[in-house]
Amino acid sequence: MPRLTLKGLSKAYGTLRVVDNVDLSLQEGEFVCLLGPSGCGKTTTLRMIAGFIEPTSGSITMDGEVLSAPGAVLPPERRRMSMIFQSYAIWPNMTVAENVGFGLKLQKLPSAEVRARTRQILEVVQMGHLADRYPAELSGGQQQRVALARAIVVKPSVLLLDEPLSNLDANLREEMRFEIRRLHDEFRITTVYVTHDQSEAMATADRIAVMNAGRIEQVDAPHLIYTQPRTRFVAAFIGRTNLLEGRLADGEIGLDGFSLRAAQLGQKVPDAARPILLSVRPQAMSLSRSQPQTREGRPVLAAIVAQRTYLGESWDYVVRPQEGGLQLRVTAPPLQVHEVGEKVWLELDPQQIAVVS
Amino acid sequence: MTESAAILSKSDTEAARRPGLLRRLRYLEPSNLLWVLLIGALLFLVAIPIGKLLVVSFEKQGSGAFTLANYATAYGRARYLEALGNSLMLGALSALLSVVFAVPLAWAVSRTDMPGKGLTWAMVMGAFIMPPYLGAVGWILLAGPNSGFVNQAWTWLTGLQAPLVNVYSFFGLALVISLHSFPLIFIFVKSALDLISSEMEDAANILGAGTWTTTRKVTLPLVWPAVLGGIIVVFLETVALFGTPAIIGIPARINVVTTQLWQFFEYPVRVEVAAAYAMPLLLITIGMIAVQKLLLARKGFVSQTGKGGERRPIRLGRWRWAVWGYCGFVGLLAVLMPLAVLLQASFAKAWGRGLAWDNLTLGNYGYLLFRHEMALPSIWNTLWFSAASATAAVVIAVLVAYIVARRLVPFGSVLAFLAMAPFVIPGIVMAIGFYAAYAAPPIALYGTALIIILAFTARFLPIAFANSAAAVRAVHPEMEEAARILGGGRLLTVRRITAPLIIRSLIGGWLIVFIVASRELSAAVFLVGPRTRTMSVLLYDLSEAGNFEVLAAFGGLLLLITLVLVAIGMKLAGRDFMLRRS
Amino acid sequence: MLDFNRRLFLGLAAGGAAAARFGAARAAELRPHEKELYEAAKKEGQLTWYTGQYQAEPSEAIGRGFTTRFPGVEVNVVRSTSQVAFQRLSQDMRAGVAQCDVFSSTDHSHLAFLKQNERLMPYKPQNAAGLIKAAQQAADPDGYFQVTYLGLFLMGRRSDQVSEADAPKSWKELLDPKWRGKVAVGHPGYSGAITSWCLAMRKLYGWDYFKALEKNQPQIGRSSADPVTMLNAGERQIGAAIPSATTLLSISRGNPITMIYPTDGTLMVPAPSGALKNGPHPNAAKLFMEYMTSPAYYEATRPFFSESLRPEVPPPPGSRPLDEVTMITADPDELERDGQEVKELWRDTFGV
Repeated sequence: MPRLTLKGLSKAYGTLRVVDNVDLSLQEGEFVCLLGPSGCGKTTTLRMIAGFIEPTSGSITMDGEVLSAPGAVLPPERRRMSMIFQSYAIWPNMTVAENVGFGLKLQKLPSAEVRARTRQILEVVQMGHLADRYPAELSGGQQQRVALARAIVVKPSVLLLDEPLSNLDANLREEMRFEIRRLHDEFRITTVYVTHDQSEAMATADRIAVMNAGRIEQVDAPHLIYTQPRTRFVAAFIGRTNLLEGRLADGEIGLDGFSLRAAQLGQKVPDAARPILLSVRPQAMSLSRSQPQTREGRPVLAAIVAQRTYLGESWDYVVRPQEGGLQLRVTAPPLQVHEVGEKVWLELDPQQIAVVS
Repeated sequence: MTESAAILSKSDTEAARRPGLLRRLRYLEPSNLLWVLLIGALLFLVAIPIGKLLVVSFEKQGSGAFTLANYATAYGRARYLEALGNSLMLGALSALLSVVFAVPLAWAVSRTDMPGKGLTWAMVMGAFIMPPYLGAVGWILLAGPNSGFVNQAWTWLTGLQAPLVNVYSFFGLALVISLHSFPLIFIFVKSALDLISSEMEDAANILGAGTWTTTRKVTLPLVWPAVLGGIIVVFLETVALFGTPAIIGIPARINVVTTQLWQFFEYPVRVEVAAAYAMPLLLITIGMIAVQKLLLARKGFVSQTGKGGERRPIRLGRWRWAVWGYCGFVGLLAVLMPLAVLLQASFAKAWGRGLAWDNLTLGNYGYLLFRHEMALPSIWNTLWFSAASATAAVVIAVLVAYIVARRLVPFGSVLAFLAMAPFVIPGIVMAIGFYAAYAAPPIALYGTALIIILAFTARFLPIAFANSAAAVRAVHPEMEEAARILGGGRLLTVRRITAPLIIRSLIGGWLIVFIVASRELSAAVFLVGPRTRTMSVLLYDLSEAGNFEVLAAFGGLLLLITLVLVAIGMKLAGRDFMLRRS
Repeated sequence: MLDFNRRLFLGLAAGGAAAARFGAARAAELRPHEKELYEAAKKEGQLTWYTGQYQAEPSEAIGRGFTTRFPGVEVNVVRSTSQVAFQRLSQDMRAGVAQCDVFSSTDHSHLAFLKQNERLMPYKPQNAAGLIKAAQQAADPDGYFQVTYLGLFLMGRRSDQVSEADAPKSWKELLDPKWRGKVAVGHPGYSGAITSWCLAMRKLYGWDYFKALEKNQPQIGRSSADPVTMLNAGERQIGAAIPSATTLLSISRGNPITMIYPTDGTLMVPAPSGALKNGPHPNAAKLFMEYMTSPAYYEATRPFFSESLRPEVPPPPGSRPLDEVTMITADPDELERDGQEVKELWRDTFGV
């Protein structure tokens, strides 16, 4: 039985549907990211899970028990969850230890146990030496660690994180991202993590649910989200991609200037004549000065370099195949340098091409 | 925590989609009950008295049958209409004089390098906390046309018999009122000036405008909305003021709305006519607030120009002492002179004999403290009525502010509206509403402490609400959500998290309500019973007992108590707690 | 003169204590009917007295004097002007609250109204038989209320600014233009005594008297005592219709004021007191009525310069014996009938 299930979950404000028929379930110990642009409904979904918002329709179930349904919302304090907030929400009138011990005290645990567990968790997040400080005396990263400790120490059934790293600077964000994953590996708490930052999602999640306009577009493991996006939105939102329109007929996908055989793609394509949309990642293509040996099923096109941008870790080229009117983004290693206007050969890997809808 | 009794089983999802009333109740947060109580409290405190006032104005005395006769009576005499006109003119003149006092002071304190700013600030504060009727008594001693010290000094200096100022005149009345209302405009204008960056002035300077031109053409126009807001507030305060017009207005032969309302409360009590007569006061107030809203709806001015840019005081050069002199002059008029004569009278055996060793006595204070039957009880009444009202007002206000800020109920804005509504209801009208609604059986609160406490609570609810709303807004909702998700109920969260975070501002708000309640006369004078007289009412009664020495001594006691409270407030809630604009 | 004043002042300061001593001395002399009432009143323990007859201090001295004479029965003294006191009582009655046990006013019509509305207790104190004749005559024939105070309202002058020769001798002379801007007077809307004075003047000279007075721009206060304050301050030089007791008190404090007994008649206002029928402490109320008609009462109020209504107690120092004074008075019926009317007339004439 899944730990947490969202079924047909919707939230509407007037006629505006902020969350639209979301289905999602998490197994125990699973870490799922809700990823999407701002306004996609991910935070609303999270706050419905927490019990702060009542759904308009659908239900939220934990361990087989309904927590939320329209008109019947179990208040947050009775859900045995915990949450980490964008603003950290560290109470400025309490010390670090008091902040962390708050949830334990509410559970009416003996004070010796509260103290022991508080101390223990503060060691885990490397804050043991600051237990008696007040929040105003801590840095942003330290506050974030306190927030983590406070949320984890109560051993929640589900841990919710609402854009927890968005207020940190870039270096710290990367560090905390691994910290969060480390803590998850250590405690295996079922976790829902809301973010708009795909690298955060990639680094932390077991599965990513990409949301757009209130709907979940796709739920998959991070690498599958990247390599096999199912929708145009997912393909475009996660990383960079080239979206190519084509037409499927007789097992052949006709594109502008060249064609592919459907059977060569990494995924099965039902064979029926129709327009089709392909997502080709810049990494799914390679450039070379001389014409590469033609391999089975790998189209090679002659092209001209139209633009280039050096990104440090790689080159980003825009090339224009000589046949047809396409423009394609291609990634190349730093040492592979082409001048603008140079003629190059472009090779596609059909295995890495995804059909999106 | 673990007994999740209310969690539905999965098979119940069908039912969960349309939960019955019982099931809804199981999910109800216990705190929801409190919100229902609050709505009840607000209706009781605000909506019903005002509604009743309206209803009563159309009722025939005794039978309660519908009639327009009350309005015919209330507006049937030229003298009554004249009182209405007097009130409007008095309000306008007082507001104008207040601007003359307040704006230069605010400008000097906020924008210039004038010396003695702290002293000016203290003077404004002093004028603010001195009850207006006490100032009125002081000014009777100062500016009685024949005997006032100011006029005697004038005659001595110039040999002219005609008085310099006659307190018993329309101008005198307006002057005395404005000397205690100008701090309101000062607060408004100063906080607006504080937001203007020097760059606004530099921009004008660089184009060739001098300091004076810049101030006139750039700085002051920028704070015009604040000045206007202050004018409206002072106008409304003046129109609703009872004490000063009663003390000065009668000898000056000036009848105003509030003293006329008092006449309707003479035997035989004609509360129906009083209600009808109070209506224009209500309409004027609502009209003024509407006008202000309309004018300020154009926004702009200060709010957009704030932030950014350094603020440098304007160098006044040799003018700084002239500006200082003006501030000192206002302070002298508003605080020092009335205070000095009141103190002199309070320590005098016969105040007409002036300062002399053999005229000094502590007897007036001794008489009040040890031999006067009502003085101590009235002090006690004042303290506990004010404390109770301040507590009730702050509790209601903070709960309403909380509900509104957290959007806990769908019609929260109605609650906020009710909590702010008394702001537009003159205190005297409020008191008559309370009298009409709750004095008679079945509620029969007349003469009880409760009716005064309730009236004070309602009257000062807006102050408490504005204060609480600002405090609650400053607490991020996630602070609370963090506690709730960890297992704290709504009420526990408020108690353990929110309350400690806002308590300091609430103490400040509590003290402000306490202080204004402790000197409130207009509402109290209609509601006191024999055993519930407050200091302000006793002071008013003493003012006609033919013994100004005792009156002054009692005023001294009232001021002493207020000063102690203000000192506590400054200690607990910061120096500016009373003069902050919220 | 100075000695005399100081003596008076000391006497005043000791007033409360003196009253207490009288009370203690006479405690043993309680008459049988008083004792009986006292026992019953002790069970009630207190009473509330609304009064407009005396200023605050004497009112409270009376309250203390009563409790000293009858230990265990406290008096809640609620003192204000008579109009305000009656206003409060009206509000009480309208609100259906019984708080007041004994009501004392300077306005005869107040008690007449209460009697008419059956609000008063028909209790004639036995001690009333010992009052002076004028007081007995002015009391209610049915015994619903008694006269417990005789207010004398006359004129006063600043002795340092107006010589005896220049001073007005009669009410009529106040109309002389030389007193323009120099006279102070109370307000009938706030003071019952001033209402009586208005009626008396109207009877003597017609309402034109006030129209002429208005031309002299008198300063209008609220209570009848307000002009005394104005005299003390030097704000005005002549006080009209001022109470003798307050004036004598002021003189005793060292203020340069002299009383003038008008030749056209000092206004005598018999001020009535009555016990309320539905008051919460009926026995204490009866006992208080007995007290107010007993010599102990007039001894307690004498230091405050009030006239004595018991032949045993001499008039206050500085005051003329009552039989040497020309008196005028307002007819109670007229007061009842025309009281409201003159207040309105006053407001129309003077604008406030």
